[in-house]
Amino acid sequence: MPPCFTCCRCPILSFDCHCQLPNQLVFPYSLNYGLSRASRKIKVSHLRANFWESIRSGFVKNNTTQIIDPPSTPEEEEEPLPQEFVLIEKTQPDGAIEQIIFSSGGDVDIYDLQTLCDKVGWPRRPLSKLAAALKNSYMVATLHSVRKSPGAGENDQKKLIGMARATSDHAFNATIWDVLVDPSYQGQGLGKALVEKLIRALLQRDIGNITLFADSQVVEFYRNLGFEPDPEGIKGMFWYPR
Amino acid sequence: MHYSSMYNVYLSNHRKTSSFSHFSSSPTTTMLLRGIISTPPLPPRLKASHNPQNATVSAQLPTTKFSISDQSLQSRGFNLRRSISDLNLDHLNSVFVAVGFPRRDTEKIRVALENTDTLLWVEYEKTKRPVAFARATGDGVFNAIIWDVVVDPSFQGIGLGKAVMERLVEELLRKGISNIALYSEPRVLGFYRPLGFVADPDGIRGMVYSRKQKKRK
Repeated sequence: MPPCFTCCRCPILSFDCHCQLPNQLVFPYSLNYGLSRASRKIKVSHLRANFWESIRSGFVKNNTTQIIDPPSTPEEEEEPLPQEFVLIEKTQPDGAIEQIIFSSGGDVDIYDLQTLCDKVGWPRRPLSKLAAALKNSYMVATLHSVRKSPGAGENDQKKLIGMARATSDHAFNATIWDVLVDPSYQGQGLGKALVEKLIRALLQRDIGNITLFADSQVVEFYRNLGFEPDPEGIKGMFWYPR
Repeated sequence: MHYSSMYNVYLSNHRKTSSFSHFSSSPTTTMLLRGIISTPPLPPRLKASHNPQNATVSAQLPTTKFSISDQSLQSRGFNLRRSISDLNLDHLNSVFVAVGFPRRDTEKIRVALENTDTLLWVEYEKTKRPVAFARATGDGVFNAIIWDVVVDPSFQGIGLGKAVMERLVEELLRKGISNIALYSEPRVLGFYRPLGFVADPDGIRGMVYSRKQKKRK
């Protein structure tokens, strides 16, 4: 039973999204693969979309699904995570190709994000606030579905289907908030992949302490990703939660 | 205005690289702060007499919003500071180490503080050294997490930790951030509770990533 990806922390808030922020996101570490963050069109450079054991179980075992790359090696031995890469590629019955693309560049169309938040059932919040929250986040990871139609000359369809973000002091601690995956894409291991990539990107930036707050129903999900609840009895506390 | 409870002072050894709140307390008094902290700060009011012949202006006492007022702290030689400009990071690091944090690189601490939205520290006038500290990171809009809450062991037990926490929370609320979280060692849960913090509300668990912990399917 796939866990609910809608929230990995405090129940209080949800998101409302919108704004034009892309160019203002500042990340201290940026792998330049020639990708333009400002562009809405995804430029996929060929990189290694690593195959993650943990999402293997989510793959459809037939030949229309291609895994773009070799088995994973232990995290620390892998090369720096590219900012954007193809996670899954599937050929659909009509010949169209759908790619699920991971990006840590934080290029989020706020209206798309609002749509996604609606889909997972989060109450709406002021778009400007959500934009500010994204802008002030240390890392924003997204999953997009890009459908390349079989016909020649037709435009790709790109859809935001997942997001996760982390706040941080850029040195010691990071906290993951708001993990969400489009319900129609849940159950394929995308949430796991999203969080795993986010963790890896954070570790590569030498952020040693990665934390989050998990609703009780997703504690197991995060445990399987390497998170431990109440380590050494340390408890998460909230100020007058509603 | 009074000093709050006596704290049990102890130093704990902290084995992780993270720095969770670090000193223990068993407050014998619990100051009810809920109603106070949750309202916006009120400035001292001056009440002018309406009697034109008796045009005296009497100042009302400022509304008590903190357990210990700024003035009270100051009169005892403690200055509240809210920026890192005069903060000696080596001195701060010494306080961290004194309460049991692993010694961290000062320059990394600088990076962390420069990327921290809100912080508060208490400077001891006599030595100009930091004796209490706390900071909060977050997205500036929805969520904040409080880290590195410390009081120099020589200055524990007189309410400085509470003073710093109350003001930090108040500052976050003033900025419109109401989702304020932190990670507390088990021995200091009793310090945070009277300040309004609740552990595992609705079954929400704080979780920390551990590289050794990861299970593979």
